Amino acid sequence: MPRIGVFVCWCGSNIGGVIDCPKLAADAGELPGVVLSTEYKYMCSEPGQNSIIQAIRDHRLDRVVVASCSPRLHEETFRKTLARAGLNPYLFEMANIREHCTWVHNKEPEKAQVKSLALVSRAVAKANLLEPLFPSSIPMTKRCLVIGGGIAGIQAALDVADAGHEVILVEKEPTIGGNMVKLDKTFPTLDCSACISTPKMVSVSTHPNITLYTYSEVAGVDGYIGNFEVTIRRKASYVDHSECTGCGDCQTKCPTKVPSEFNLGLSTRKAIYIPFPQAVPNKPVIDAANCRYFTTGKCKVCQKICTTEAIDYEQQDTVITEKVGAIVVATGYQLFDWAAAYGEYGYGRYPDVVTGMHFERLVNAAGPTGGKIQRPSDQSEPKTVVFIKCVGSRDPAKGKEYCSRACCMYTAKHAHQVLEKIPGANVYIFYIDVRTPGKGYEEFYQRTISDGAVYVRGRVSKIYQMGDKLVVRGSDTLLGRPVEVEADMVVLASAMVSSSGIQDVARMVSVQVDKDGWLQEAHPKLRPVETHTGGVFVAGSCQGPKDIPDTVAQASAAAAKVCGLLSREELATDPMISTVNQAICTGCGLCVPACPYQAVELKTITERIPGHAPRERTVADVNSGLCQGCGACNVACRPGAMQVKGFTNDELVAEVDAICL
Amino acid sequence: MSVAPETVWEPKIIGFFCNWCSYAGADLAGVSRINYPPNVRIIRVPCSSRINPYLVLRAFQHGADGILISG
Repeated sequence: MPRIGVFVCWCGSNIGGVIDCPKLAADAGELPGVVLSTEYKYMCSEPGQNSIIQAIRDHRLDRVVVASCSPRLHEETFRKTLARAGLNPYLFEMANIREHCTWVHNKEPEKAQVKSLALVSRAVAKANLLEPLFPSSIPMTKRCLVIGGGIAGIQAALDVADAGHEVILVEKEPTIGGNMVKLDKTFPTLDCSACISTPKMVSVSTHPNITLYTYSEVAGVDGYIGNFEVTIRRKASYVDHSECTGCGDCQTKCPTKVPSEFNLGLSTRKAIYIPFPQAVPNKPVIDAANCRYFTTGKCKVCQKICTTEAIDYEQQDTVITEKVGAIVVATGYQLFDWAAAYGEYGYGRYPDVVTGMHFERLVNAAGPTGGKIQRPSDQSEPKTVVFIKCVGSRDPAKGKEYCSRACCMYTAKHAHQVLEKIPGANVYIFYIDVRTPGKGYEEFYQRTISDGAVYVRGRVSKIYQMGDKLVVRGSDTLLGRPVEVEADMVVLASAMVSSSGIQDVARMVSVQVDKDGWLQEAHPKLRPVETHTGGVFVAGSCQGPKDIPDTVAQASAAAAKVCGLLSREELATDPMISTVNQAICTGCGLCVPACPYQAVELKTITERIPGHAPRERTVADVNSGLCQGCGACNVACRPGAMQVKGFTNDELVAEVDAICL
Repeated sequence: MSVAPETVWEPKIIGFFCNWCSYAGADLAGVSRINYPPNVRIIRVPCSSRINPYLVLRAFQHGADGILISG
C-alpha cells in the first residue's frame, strides 16, 4: 500500500481566505492511502518545500499530493522537491484548488470546500496508482538551420556560427540581405543601411561554419528537437556557380529587360542577373520565365559570352537533405498590398503615389536615380511631398488592426531627407498618432519638425490627379477642418505584413500563425523567441512588425537559445509518453493511423517460449522522440496494451471514480 | 449522497480538459476571477484524444449528471 502525504497550501489568502484549509487537510487524511495530511501558508516557498522533504523522510512517504495552484504553474517546482528528497519526481500529483476552485467560487465558500475535497480525492486516487517514471535521452545533432537570409537570419546565423556550431542558411532569393539592404539610411542615426549590412552578408559567405543556400527553399521538415531532417530544394539558376567568376559580362549582353525586383520596378534588370552589385553570392541566375532562350528556344548570348562556360541551360532543381538539431525561422515581412485596398488613393494608377520602400530606392545613392529624389512619372524633382502614415496599419476596415511600429520613424527620416536634398521643399505628413518609442527616436522626430516638416493629424480621404499635380484631400482633426494639398509626390507608409509563404513554413515546422499572420511565440513576454515546437525558434519580423534594432536583438536572442540547446550532448525526453505492453499487443495496428505524429509503427518481434519453437509476431512500437503523449493510440488500443505513462487507463478510471463521489 | 427534499437539485458535471488548451483556459478563468457554478469538477488529460468513451460511461455510472469534454 502506498504511503501518501497530502499537503494543502493556503496560498496566503488566495485559498485560505475562501476555504478552511485545516479542515480540508483533516478530511483528506481520511482518504485511502493517506498517512499524513497537513497544511501550510505557502507550500511552494523554501520552508514549504523543506517541510515536504522532511515529511517524506519522517513518515516514509512514497507518494506526494499537493493541493494548491495549477500544475501548469508549479508541477515542475514540486517534482524537483521530490527529487531533492530522493523520491522519483513522477510520484507526485497536484490538486488545483486555486484556479479551478477558490478563485472562481469565492462567493460560495461552502460549495468550494466540498469541491476542493473532491479535487483532492481525485489526486489521491491517482497518486495511489502512480508509478516511477524515468526520462530517456535522445542524441543532439549540433547543427542549426536558419530559414531566411534577411538581417534577422544573418545575425542569428553569424551568432550561432561564431559560437562554433555549423549553420545552414537558406534564402529563397538569389541573394541574402532581405529588406534591410534595400534601405537607404537607417533611423535615428542615419547610418547607411548597405554600409552596415553588406559586411555582415560577406561574413556569412566567408564564415567557415556557415553553409549558404541561396535561391533555395525549405521543402520539408521531418523529425523533432535535436534530430530534424530538412529537405531543401535548390532552384536551378542555370549558372554553374563553381565555374562562374561573377564578371557580369552575361548580364551586360543579355538582350531581355524586365522590371527589377530589387528596385521595386523603378528600373530594369536583365533575364540573367545579379540582383544588385553587392549581392551575396555575387553570381548571376537566369530568370527562366523571361529568358529569351527558354521562351523562344533561340538566343544563348550569355553562353557565348561566358569565358568560363558556366552557363548550363540543362541544369535542374536539386533536392538535398540536411540533419539539424535546431531551426530558426526568420522569414521577415513584406509590404501590405495597399493598391488593392485603397481605391481612394488611386488603386496604384498614379505613378507618383509610391510606398516608403520605393522612396528608399529613390533616395538611395546606389538606387535607380543615383540618390536624386525624382517623380517616377516624369523624373522631375518634387517640390511638395505628402507622406501618409498608417496605410493598412491601424485600419481594421481595410487592412490590419495592428501598428507596424517602424513607419512613424522612417517617415520622419524620409521627411528629413526630402528637406535636406530638395531646397525649399514642402513636406506634409498625415498621421493618426506619432509613436516614437526607442532610443533617440523622439529626438529625431522633434528634429524633423524643426527642419520644417508639417505634421497634420488626420486621415487622407482622397488622392486625385489634376494636371501634373496630385491633389491630396484630408482632414485636420486638431483644427477640425478639411485640408487640401497639391502635391508632386505622395509616399505611403504601407503596413508590414508577414511574408507570403509563411503559412507553408509554419506548417512545415509546426508553429502556429496568429490572427494577423505572424508566427506565434511561446509566450509574449517570457519566451519571446521560442515556439511551442521544441527546437524551433523565431527571429525578426516573422513574429511581428519590428524595426532593425529589435530584429537584431531578437535574432541574437534566438541564437543564444540555439547555442544553449546545441551545447548539450543529449536531450532528456518527457517520460509521459505512450508505451506498449508487447505481451498483450495483438498487432492489430489501429494505433498506427490514430497517431498524429507518426510515432507508432508496427514491428516484428521473435518470441521465445520455453518448450516451443521461436515464433514471430507483429506488435506496435513507439518512437519516443516523436511521441508527444497525446494518448490517441491509448484510446484506439482494444486490448489495453498501449498506455500513456502518467495517464494510464487505471489512473484515469480511479480519478473518475474519486471525483464523482 | 442523500438529497434532502427541500434542497435544490444541482447537477454534478465532470469535465475532461486538454492540458494544452481548455485546462489552461480554466486556469485563465481562475486568474481572471470569472465566477462559474461550483458543480463542475475538472480532470486533466494530455489531449482530448485521450478520453475513452469508457471514462464517460464510468462517470455516469458513478453519479455524474453531465460530462464536459473540451479540447
